[in-house]
Amino acid sequence: MTHSPIVSAVKSRLHAANYTELATPLRVAGVEFPFTAAMRGSDGRALDLLLVLDTTTGDFGDKDATRIRQRIEALSRALDVTGSRYVVTAILVGATLAGGIDALAETCRVLQVDGIPLDASGKPDGEIAATQLDDQIRVLLPLTLPLAVTLVEGSGGTAMEQLAKALGEDVDAFVLETLIAAAADGEDEVITAVGSLIDGTFEHAADKKEGRP
Amino acid sequence: MSDAMLRELDITNFRSIRGHIHAPLDAQVVLVHGENGAGKTSLLSAIELALTGSVQSLERADPLYREQLLHRSAERGRVLLRTTLDSADKNFEAALDTDGALTLGALSVQQASFFSERAYLPQSLLGQLIQIYQESGSDIGSPLAKFVGKLLDLDRLDALETGLQPLADVRNVRKITTGWSAAETEKARIERLLDSGIRTRKAAAERIDADINRLTALCGGLGIGAPVSEGTLDQVLDALEDQTDASELEARTDQLRQLGSIGREMQDAQRAREDSQLPDAAAAAADFGDWDKANGTAYADLRTRVQALIPEESLPSELASFAGEALTRLRAIAAELSDRAAQARAADVRLAAARLERQQASDQREAIDGEVASLPADAGSLASALSELTSFIDSDICPVCDRNYADMNRGTLSDHVQAKVHSLSGSASRLLALGRSRGEAQVLIERLDGEIETLSPRTLDPQKLAQLDREAATASAAVSELDAMAPTLVQGGRLLGLDVGARRAVTEAQSRNSALLAARETLRTFSILVGASEVTVTESIADASARLQLHLMAETKRLGESLTNRRQGIELVASIRTAIERRDEMDVSINTDAKALSAVELSLERAQALRDQGQAIRRAVDTVRSLIIRREFNDRLNLLWRDLFVRLAPNEPFVPAFRIPTGETQRLQPKLFTKHRLGGDAGGAPGAMLSAGNLNTAALTLFVALHLSVPKELPWLILDDPVQSMDDVHIAHFAALLRTLSKEHGRQIIIAVHDRQLFEYLRLELSPSTPSDSLITLELSRGPRRNTLCRHERLTFREETALMAA
Repeated sequence: MTHSPIVSAVKSRLHAANYTELATPLRVAGVEFPFTAAMRGSDGRALDLLLVLDTTTGDFGDKDATRIRQRIEALSRALDVTGSRYVVTAILVGATLAGGIDALAETCRVLQVDGIPLDASGKPDGEIAATQLDDQIRVLLPLTLPLAVTLVEGSGGTAMEQLAKALGEDVDAFVLETLIAAAADGEDEVITAVGSLIDGTFEHAADKKEGRP
Repeated sequence: MSDAMLRELDITNFRSIRGHIHAPLDAQVVLVHGENGAGKTSLLSAIELALTGSVQSLERADPLYREQLLHRSAERGRVLLRTTLDSADKNFEAALDTDGALTLGALSVQQASFFSERAYLPQSLLGQLIQIYQESGSDIGSPLAKFVGKLLDLDRLDALETGLQPLADVRNVRKITTGWSAAETEKARIERLLDSGIRTRKAAAERIDADINRLTALCGGLGIGAPVSEGTLDQVLDALEDQTDASELEARTDQLRQLGSIGREMQDAQRAREDSQLPDAAAAAADFGDWDKANGTAYADLRTRVQALIPEESLPSELASFAGEALTRLRAIAAELSDRAAQARAADVRLAAARLERQQASDQREAIDGEVASLPADAGSLASALSELTSFIDSDICPVCDRNYADMNRGTLSDHVQAKVHSLSGSASRLLALGRSRGEAQVLIERLDGEIETLSPRTLDPQKLAQLDREAATASAAVSELDAMAPTLVQGGRLLGLDVGARRAVTEAQSRNSALLAARETLRTFSILVGASEVTVTESIADASARLQLHLMAETKRLGESLTNRRQGIELVASIRTAIERRDEMDVSINTDAKALSAVELSLERAQALRDQGQAIRRAVDTVRSLIIRREFNDRLNLLWRDLFVRLAPNEPFVPAFRIPTGETQRLQPKLFTKHRLGGDAGGAPGAMLSAGNLNTAALTLFVALHLSVPKELPWLILDDPVQSMDDVHIAHFAALLRTLSKEHGRQIIIAVHDRQLFEYLRLELSPSTPSDSLITLELSRGPRRNTLCRHERLTFREETALMAA
């Protein structure tokens, strides 16, 4: 059974994200449920059951939102009956359906894939098209975190640590600590603290002067 | 499995949780459900309190929130959180009473701030986040700026920056310190002192130099050879104080005075010689000689006689007074002599009469004595005895002798006795009268005896009396003679006086001449003495005297000037010494002031160093802040945020983003905007471009993005009812996101929801998908006695078989 290029592109992207294809039609509690394609996640996503529906060609009456909803509700019920914990996601590939999506969303997660330009080999044509496809099924894809910030040179630690680092040996540690502690209570405290630090040098000098015979 | 995990929580009487509940937390996902007010937020706050010692969201709302931590009905409460941290069990505990909470074993400050900022999203903060989108201002005070500032510790940096601002301007530094301007004033004061000290010192030194020059000149003039310098002042002073000039001046002054007196003497002498006219001494002597020839003998004779008469006294030798005196005396003598003669004669007469009266009185006394002798001496007593006896006589028989008187025939005895008594009484009266007369006679005799005795010496014998008379006569004669000669004697006295006066005048004139000579000699000697050229015979006394005076005055003037110079020199020495003293004082005070100045300058330098440090901090704050802002609000954050946002809102064509600050950032002025997710700015603020649901999504994903954008210090994500207004579509996606975070990124997720349907859905969606996966649900409710109940259920992995057949 050959799929439309866009369905293939979706399946291919999901394969890449460690989803495995299930044989269709699905058979749950002795009932068969025909879908363009069905996929299952692995590991943490092992309970994700993906149903791919081709709304362009309209396999299994998939051009009709109501029919899709009825089929998927039936599947959900069947899964409930068997005590399954599968979480169903319906991926509507192709033309946008006229209506009934909101109702379908009460039953399962609904994702729509459409308007992705494909190249001759059936892959998304260009980076934007790839991003577009990813965006539409992103919730199914692994989350890639950017590089941790500590890996960037000299920018780790809390703001205050970085401040200390930036100052290096130029500033007396006690002065910095005093001011940072004061900063927690607001700018007025900083003013007071820096004022008394400066005043401290005069008192120091006065003491020294008095102490001198 | 992460090495950090919240394991279990015990809460007693905390906030809205009444009584004790136990909540196991040791699962990848903890799902908390409860109606509003059942204690969901309290449960999550309890975790924050135990871990950090405070509840930030409450603190923001009410600084006195600590008093509200204990459940109203209870007196004490407790929160105990058991965790695994750094691969070890660690308990966090907070004891509650009506005053607040006492936390034992809180997280480190850094971990605590990470927890508060990036791990726990209280409802209030979410509300704040949503507000940020609705009021998308970009100024410093905007809610977004506040939120992000707080989240990233930027508010402290801002406080440092603003607090250190006054350091930039020294005027503000003066305002915020008490010591700075005081030190500056002190510095200025000391500098003034120092300046004036240096000037005074310079003046003193110049004064010393000038005075030494003057003194050198003076000493040269005075012929003092000692070198003049500061060190030789004592010698110079000794030399200046030499008294030779002074004594010489004194001598000269004396000489001048002497010269004056010599001159005066000579003038007197000159004038006397010129003025007086000598009497004719020879004529006077002749006149007196004539008189003497005529009367001298008579006078001498008279004088001898008078002298003889007045032997015991000396008479004045002067002629004139002699006559008067002698007359007075002679008259007295003559009178006395006559008197004596008269008295002697009178005494003689009286003596004769007294002797006669004495004889008569003596005769009378003898007659009385004869009569008294004839009278019985005891007649009186006998008469008295007899009269007594008469009372015993009553007859003629004598009571004494018992003889009969009648026998006698001379009358009766009684008569006889009475006659006898009478006779005896008469004798006694006579005796008394006689006695009186004798006494009178005796007195008379004694008086006369005394008179005779007195008178006897007064009487003179006739020769003596005659002598007396003769002497009286001689005296009277001398008186007469003297009386006659008196005018002559006066004349003689006057002549003698003239003679004597003339002689004296002559003698005086002679002595004045010799004085003048002597004066000239004195002047000559004097001229030699004073060292002037000698007075010659040809030179007049007046000229010489004037010349000497000029000489002396010139000398005096010279010496006076010399003395004045000495005095000035001494004054100069004193002045130099004062100046030296002043200069040395100034040296000391300059030294002191310089030390004080360097002390003040040192303090000011230190203060300046502190100011520099402060400014360095401020600059560093700037750098660090822009570093942090750049670090945080970079493409990575936007990318992450976009990723998360798109997950939850796949159909939203616009995504929110931070406008990344560029250039020198004074302060964080974050700006939110939206862009089309396929590229190109949409430009609008999120509040304008996104629906309410997607706004909430944006807020939530921003928090998660911030949590994920830094290294995970604590792998915990605690969300308090974050999906209140999300529609179901979003809930499904949100559940998927939570799962992703939990299962792919090892976050332990605790999420509270109030919606039952959502709870059920999440329970399904977050069910364990692998054997190591776990889910705990906690259901909070109020029990029948209104104590809080916490029902917990642990869901474990179960192999999914529903599709196995396929």
